[in-house]
Amino acid sequence: MRELREVFYVDGVRTAFGRAGPKGVFWRTRADDMGVKVVRELLRRSPSLPPERIDDVVMAATAQVGDQGLTLGRDVALLAGLPQSVPGFAVDRMCAGALTAVTAGAGEIAMGAADVVLAGGIEHMGHHPMGDDVDFNPRFVAERLVDTSAVTMGATAENLHDRFPQLTKEAADALAVRSQQRAAAAWQNGVMRETVVPMSVFTDEGWRVADRDEFLRPETTMEALATLPTPFRAGGRVTAGNSAGLTDGATVCLLCSEEAAQEHSLEPRMRLVAYAFAGVEPELMGLGPVPATRKALERAGLTLEEIGLFELNEPFAVQVLSWCDGLGVDPEDERLNPYGGAIACGHPLAATGVRLLAQLAYGFRERPDVRYGLSALCVGMGMGAALIWENVAAGH
Amino acid sequence: MTIDNGEDHTKPTFFGRAALESLERLLPRLEEGDWAALVLTGKPFVFAAGADITEFPGATRELAIEGSRAGHELFGRIRALPYPTVAAVNGACLGGGVEIALHCDARTISTAVRHFACPECFLGIVPAWGGTQLVPRLVGADTAVRFVVANPMRQNRMLTGPEAFELGFAERLLEPAEFLDESIAFALERPQNGVRHRDEDVTEVLRKVRARLDGQVHGAAPAPYRALDLIEGALSGWSLEEGYAAEEEAVGELLPGPQAQASLYAFDLVDRRARRPPGKPDAEPLPIRKVGLVGAGLMAAQLAALFLRRLEVPVAMRDVSKEALASARETIEESLAEQVARGRLDEGKARFLSSLVSTSTGYDDFGECDLVLEAVFEEPDVKRQVFAELREHVKPECILATNTSSLSVAGMGADVGIHFFNPVAVLPLVELVHTPDTGDGALATAWAFAEKLRKRPVLVADAPAFVVNRVLTRLMSVVLDAVEHGTDPEEADEAILRLGLPMAPSVLLQMVGPRVANHVLETLHEAYPDRFPLSQTLANYAEGRDEIAVREQAPRAREEILEAALEALADEVRHLLEEGVVAEAKDVDTALLLGAGWPFWLGGITRHLDQAGISERMFGRPLAEMGAGAPTR
Repeated sequence: MRELREVFYVDGVRTAFGRAGPKGVFWRTRADDMGVKVVRELLRRSPSLPPERIDDVVMAATAQVGDQGLTLGRDVALLAGLPQSVPGFAVDRMCAGALTAVTAGAGEIAMGAADVVLAGGIEHMGHHPMGDDVDFNPRFVAERLVDTSAVTMGATAENLHDRFPQLTKEAADALAVRSQQRAAAAWQNGVMRETVVPMSVFTDEGWRVADRDEFLRPETTMEALATLPTPFRAGGRVTAGNSAGLTDGATVCLLCSEEAAQEHSLEPRMRLVAYAFAGVEPELMGLGPVPATRKALERAGLTLEEIGLFELNEPFAVQVLSWCDGLGVDPEDERLNPYGGAIACGHPLAATGVRLLAQLAYGFRERPDVRYGLSALCVGMGMGAALIWENVAAGH
Repeated sequence: MTIDNGEDHTKPTFFGRAALESLERLLPRLEEGDWAALVLTGKPFVFAAGADITEFPGATRELAIEGSRAGHELFGRIRALPYPTVAAVNGACLGGGVEIALHCDARTISTAVRHFACPECFLGIVPAWGGTQLVPRLVGADTAVRFVVANPMRQNRMLTGPEAFELGFAERLLEPAEFLDESIAFALERPQNGVRHRDEDVTEVLRKVRARLDGQVHGAAPAPYRALDLIEGALSGWSLEEGYAAEEEAVGELLPGPQAQASLYAFDLVDRRARRPPGKPDAEPLPIRKVGLVGAGLMAAQLAALFLRRLEVPVAMRDVSKEALASARETIEESLAEQVARGRLDEGKARFLSSLVSTSTGYDDFGECDLVLEAVFEEPDVKRQVFAELREHVKPECILATNTSSLSVAGMGADVGIHFFNPVAVLPLVELVHTPDTGDGALATAWAFAEKLRKRPVLVADAPAFVVNRVLTRLMSVVLDAVEHGTDPEEADEAILRLGLPMAPSVLLQMVGPRVANHVLETLHEAYPDRFPLSQTLANYAEGRDEIAVREQAPRAREEILEAALEALADEVRHLLEEGVVAEAKDVDTALLLGAGWPFWLGGITRHLDQAGISERMFGRPLAEMGAGAPTR
């Protein structure tokens, strides 16, 4: 039997995350150009890696049409100026797109089919509103295969509040306030400087540099959140304040084998220990990370107590609360989203996964005592993704 | 072979003349070709929705027989094909759809099928493409009478795919995902058309169902009785040809008859006409994000539960009595719990909905309401006060509506009337009452509100007791008059029941409550003293005294009472039209069908009055030809 090879995360970057729509900073910027920007910056930061030694470019997008439609990995590779010999492809698992790009690339490396892979995701939700161009199979309704609320993510978040009455709106708002405060603090320290790539973009006001997330609201208070409307239900609990906004953004990271790291003098930061995807009821899609986390821990042979950092996506505060509730983690735990979450920075669907990894890697450097970390997120139509990483840069 | 009218799934395939001709053209190829098997199925989501009933109004006996015979001949040729034939019932399968399927050797049915039925008796006719003969042969007497007779007479109840399979209508129950592939595989197993022998006492089954039918329709509708005769014949040794001939004879008699023609008219009112309802304003309705309810009686509590279920918005309830509010909350909780128990509502969602209810003895929670419905007891002064108070507490654009059953909407200061019928969960009608001051926006919002509650609005003017209660009260007056002339109340009930109404007048009175009924009578008496005399008997009942106030000993015969009742009904409808309370007689009929549960075979009531020549005799022309507000003589 042949042996699988270890897979390492070297580095990852993202664009600033912009507000989707005509008022957003990326409105007049192409989605694939955002991908080009992050790929070129990532390679600039690893000058010892000869570009022709990249074996694959995996790029995720939920909407694979228009400026995200031309087999994104290959499209971005060519536009970024990578040699024509470097192939690429596109993947889609909605919000877990980038994480799936990472696990697909990791699979290639582990199998020995690749030594170095770029993996990331792009989502320009301004150009591609969720569900646009999707032709739902009428069987879903005719055969009542899923509840109709399953296709509206905000409605699934309301469903979580229904299912778990102990997860109150107050707890959700408190988590949102904390997320904004932690994000504000994070922009003062080094994590954003290290992971966010400023990009010049053309706008209605001429050229600007997009270098800061547009959803940051450090002044958020519980009192202000309490007055916001609940767009998904009259009298509901999910508001613009305790949800991630619709976002434009791009991310990419560099993965390699141990041998490639040595050959090209790359410095691995994290080792991929185990990962898992799981399915849940589509109308409760936010629950996905609970079984995914359990599965990944089991495959890694680890317990939750051995995980020192959690980078969880935060599309809705109640989604994070339901994960905490399911796994027995205190929502205020310092290990959880130390730099804030998507409520503060935004959530460009298929791009988000690599933001989690980049922040986890930064967290590992700040906390050399921590050996294992988890990145997880929930996925529309009822799925969850969880990846467990080891802090190898700290000598573990 | 695909049954397909070339339209999408929103326009089901019907067997009209063109469809039968198309089948006739195709049959020679099926008969002459060297085929392994036939699989008959429908376009996506629809198998076949039966005969094209738009061809039925005004049909003659000859046309009915010819249509029946054509189906027998063509479907019979499918049955005679020399290779296995399988009907793959992939979607809605009604009437003629069921019958063509039964002419195949075997059937597969999809778990996704939600409508499998022979609704003919519901429309005053009988299955006449072999249904009355093949259904009992396939599934036996007990299931056949339920399927062909009892279900159509129970608000046209239909079977799902799994239910139809369970009862023996299909040999295979299949998942929809690969339904046709698996049906084809099944056809290639060469299924046999199995004759099932059941140990049933056919005579006893039929005796029981006939007795039940008498209790329900009192002989007023001939179709279900004819269907039972045909089923009995099928199980008594008739050949299929004899059965076909008997079906042709039956439908030749029934289809041109008054009950079938009235039923087709009624079906058109509640089905096709309802899709583009007359009177619906063009104005854009305002969104409703919160509803207020004044009053916390039983009906108010039922309304609150309905608002929660259908609108999913906060509901503020106000009543002067804390006990009433507490008991309303209990009723709401029970109603939600029942929905959960029936699997129609998620438990967590029910918890959320129940959290949307706020109760108070004041109007503090009403500031955000987009629509408020008043449902306090029928006392004009109290209602006037409620609306005066409401104006001070709601935002200016909030629509103020009343659920009054008889009082003047304008007089109490409401913008619009939205009159629901009891039991709220069952009866689909709302009378939407407009006053001279009702704006288009308010009316459009009230209309949209009613439709979101899945109710069916009929637009009426602000006249005492509107339509349904006014017509019912006029009928009640005839009955009370007979009783006060010494007629035995049971005799009076029997006289009216001959129309086949859903309940006897005395039962209806108990359901409505004598106090409410007497109050409506008083209101009508004030407006129209000649036609609505006060009744001491009803006043006694209202006070809880079960005492008939006989004015004169001159008991009346059933025929006399029925005749007087029909004339009174015709007269009242004429007044409704003359006053412009409704736009046309069809609105009265729609209201009676949906708000009082009056039977299809009366066509509401005006079709029957016109058919029976009563309108002609009284007014010189049918009610159907009278326009609103026009002089009727």
